[in-house]
Amino acid sequence: MISLSRGNSHHQSFSSLSNITTRTIIQMNDVWASYDGKNYVLKEITLSIIRGTNYAIVGPSGSGKSTLLRLINGMMRPSKGQVKVDYENPNTNNKQFKLAMAKIGYIPQNLGLVRNITVLDNVLIGALPRVGKFKSFFKIFPDNETSEAEKILKLVGLEDKAERKTYMLSGGEKRRVAIARALMQKPVLLLADEIVSELDHVTAREIMDLVVNAKRRFNLTAIMVHHDIKLGLEYADRVAVIKEGQKILELGVEGDKIVDFQTGNISQQEIMELYSES
Amino acid sequence: MNPKSNLIIGLVIAVVVVMSYNLEADPAQFVDGIPNLAIIAKEMTEVEPALFGTAFWSILETIQMAFIGTVVGVAIALPLSMLAARNLNSKFVYAPIRAILAATRTFPSILWAILFVIMVGLGPFAGILAIIMYTVGFIAKLQYESIEAVDSDPVEAVSSIGVSKWQLIRHVIIPESAPHLLSQILYMFDYNVRQTTILGLVGAGGIGFYIINYIKFFEYGKAAVFMLVVLIVVLIIDWISVKIRDKYIIKAQRGMKIAV
Ligand SMILES: Nc1ncnc2c1ncn2[C@@H]1O[C@H](COP(=O)(O)OP(=O)(O)OP(=O)(O)O)[C@@H](O)[C@H]1O
Ligand SMILES: [Mg+2]
Repeated sequence: MISLSRGNSHHQSFSSLSNITTRTIIQMNDVWASYDGKNYVLKEITLSIIRGTNYAIVGPSGSGKSTLLRLINGMMRPSKGQVKVDYENPNTNNKQFKLAMAKIGYIPQNLGLVRNITVLDNVLIGALPRVGKFKSFFKIFPDNETSEAEKILKLVGLEDKAERKTYMLSGGEKRRVAIARALMQKPVLLLADEIVSELDHVTAREIMDLVVNAKRRFNLTAIMVHHDIKLGLEYADRVAVIKEGQKILELGVEGDKIVDFQTGNISQQEIMELYSES
Repeated sequence: MNPKSNLIIGLVIAVVVVMSYNLEADPAQFVDGIPNLAIIAKEMTEVEPALFGTAFWSILETIQMAFIGTVVGVAIALPLSMLAARNLNSKFVYAPIRAILAATRTFPSILWAILFVIMVGLGPFAGILAIIMYTVGFIAKLQYESIEAVDSDPVEAVSSIGVSKWQLIRHVIIPESAPHLLSQILYMFDYNVRQTTILGLVGAGGIGFYIINYIKFFEYGKAAVFMLVVLIVVLIIDWISVKIRDKYIIKAQRGMKIAV
């Protein structure tokens, strides 16, 4: 059941994670991460995410939110501990690893769009792992992929901008392209890094609604990083609060109250303080 | 200006003076030579209009050579530049390719022309080969540098999708470095036309052949016709490439500056 497993060899044993179930899509056990091998930007991260959850990660700038997403999508390996991403694909050889990556729709903080190509071409990039390498070199995509891309462009509201060069789009439109590319991957897991930061309120809400709808429609698990804790609590089922590389709280709603599942004893007073901080 | 930079300027001047003593570069000789220049200039005004036809055909040959050399050179340079980019290859691939490219650039194109005249004989073909060598060395270098400068954001994002290396090159690296490529090719063509005009000096075809021969036999009036044609054509090409640059490249780069 485990398709992606990252970590140094001492922490690689599958049996140590006997508590993993098919319901869990992501499991991290005491994960530490570092860019230079000396300073840890993530420490003791332990979390598990249930399939289908709308999960949010919030925290101040530099706290390690983007790093956490890089660990999940496989671009970065933990220095200690394990990251397990699971979706019914049993092998972990190199080719399988790439196929597994193809199933994670990742929208980086800077979006990572190719600026000098059209919107449609950017969306089709999401289909590359599925299409023949030789044909894709000549930009020949199967008809069903092209029509799928057009369908997704319609879903994100960009059907009339398909042939537009990507650098000409507005900030909100670029975010829609990035969402479309991620959906084109036919992902199981959607990762989005501060996708609505720096947008005006109206556009931010439109984009959030778009993601939430797509998540429901394609039956995804979503992990979204936000700068703003209010946004996390409003849209997500669970909100992990990261501070200086550590997960300090994991908030969720139970009944009509916000509770902390990590320590279990946060007061409403403290939650109000968190609100005013962000 | 501080005392330290004054000292450096003084030192540089001293070194230049010492070096020119060694090379017998005497400014007085330059001044003495000015009357000679006046004689040449006067003879050059006596142009022979009958030669304009020949000049036209020979500059056409020059442009053909430069064009073919540029196109073929670029076609060879592009795949090499992909192999020479440090962000796409291991050291064992890029290091030898870079060494070869550096070697081709070491010689000016006129030395390549001499080599190819020996190989394939006199005529335009030798000149084309020389232009190709030079173009490969330069375009590949400019291009691997712009590949290495491609924004890492889309590279990281698309790699994380799990695409193959060639898909990454085709769908991210090439489009992101293409605006630079067009401007580099235009520059190279421009440069190659100038280079090709002098390749005739060693018998590798083009208009330079006429110029050197007339100068050798002190027929400055005839040489002047050919030099005039070169001047006009180079100016026209310059003007056209500025137009193309404005139309396509400036626009693309302005677009690139829009931050996400
Ligand atoms: N590529 C990198 N190389 C070295 N250090 C890095 C790199 N990326 C991030 N860091 C460092 O890791 C720490 C966490 O960075 P990260 O980008 O994960 O923070 P973040 O919570 O996403 O911040 P922000 O809200 O500003 O995006 C920071 O101290 C940052 O300087
Ligand atoms: Mg970040």
